[in-house]
Amino acid sequence: MNLSDKVTIPPQVMARTVGDETVILDLATGTYFGLDPVGARIWALMEEGKTLAEVCERMLDEYEVTREQLEQDTLRLAEELAGQGLIAV
Amino acid sequence: MAETRPQAAIAIAPFHTWTFPDGTPWTEFYRIGSGYLLRFPGLADFEVLGEGERVVCYPVPGIDEATSEHLYLNQVLPLVLSKRGKLVFHASAVELGQGAAVFLGESGRGKSTLAASFAVNGCRFLTDDGLVVEPAGGGYQVLPSHPSIRLWSDSEEALIRPGAETAPPLSYTAKSRFLAGAGIAFCDQPRPLQRVYVLGKGTAARLELRRLTAAEALVGWVKHSFLLDIEERPRLASHFDQVAALAKLPIHFSLDYPRRFEDLDAVRQALVEHANDESVTA
Repeated sequence: MNLSDKVTIPPQVMARTVGDETVILDLATGTYFGLDPVGARIWALMEEGKTLAEVCERMLDEYEVTREQLEQDTLRLAEELAGQGLIAV
Repeated sequence: MAETRPQAAIAIAPFHTWTFPDGTPWTEFYRIGSGYLLRFPGLADFEVLGEGERVVCYPVPGIDEATSEHLYLNQVLPLVLSKRGKLVFHASAVELGQGAAVFLGESGRGKSTLAASFAVNGCRFLTDDGLVVEPAGGGYQVLPSHPSIRLWSDSEEALIRPGAETAPPLSYTAKSRFLAGAGIAFCDQPRPLQRVYVLGKGTAARLELRRLTAAEALVGWVKHSFLLDIEERPRLASHFDQVAALAKLPIHFSLDYPRRFEDLDAVRQALVEHANDESVTA
């Protein structure tokens, strides 16, 4: 997976925030994934159709984090979600 | 109910399939026109027209009416109700304390056995599957469904007194169906939703109750939802929103216990005390 990739979210996958956690659920398979608030923000930006690089640019405006760390974390999260079929590239 | 007909091959692939643990398809979901075709391989096809205003059943030749009717009541009707915006789940429920206790769980986790254990000990059951929950009076209520419980033979031997009234056997399962009556108490009125228990795998050495976070409760409800069209995003979004609101209530717990019939008395006693203990939801 690369930062230039734009992810798509399958129609049966949805996310909702309850309490301090955002839950992503695939209603076809029952697969679910919990996100903390930072992960939830990345998810929301991916939902807007941004590339992972664009997601990182926006996150750099909003959070105090190094670009290198953010890009690593974003790619790792995207790969984990893709591995569970919760996003596609 | 229409005439019997063989299940001809369908040119398109199903958009969703329910399978048994061994991968065998149990229900195939197809889009046809503005409606759906639900195929239970070897048993029956059900055409769901429009928003579910009409359902037509086509049993496979040789399949009896009891099987078609049971498939309709336990599988198709819950899916149709979900299409109409109702909250329907794979769960059993019994009357407990001042309301209803719900047992959510995957197939084989003991939902029906636990409900039957309460029902044969005078604690009325509301459903053994196809649980319908609806908003009421600022909270939620559980609706009663078909007054029967399906049990495997080991649960039957442990719980059901000889002579209990049974419904006709079904073509696709060895489970027996027991009708509510003198020895199996049934509640035919809605009851306020008071407790929700997500059943564990039965690996606990002793009874364990743990409060669930709202996120865990949301996952529990959604994983066990009946949903006719998992690709209809507006309906799914509405369902998800309703369940997320429900999951925020402080009434959700995980429940696990050794699956031994001799332990069920103690499990029931613990749940009665838990349902009556208002401090656990404070």
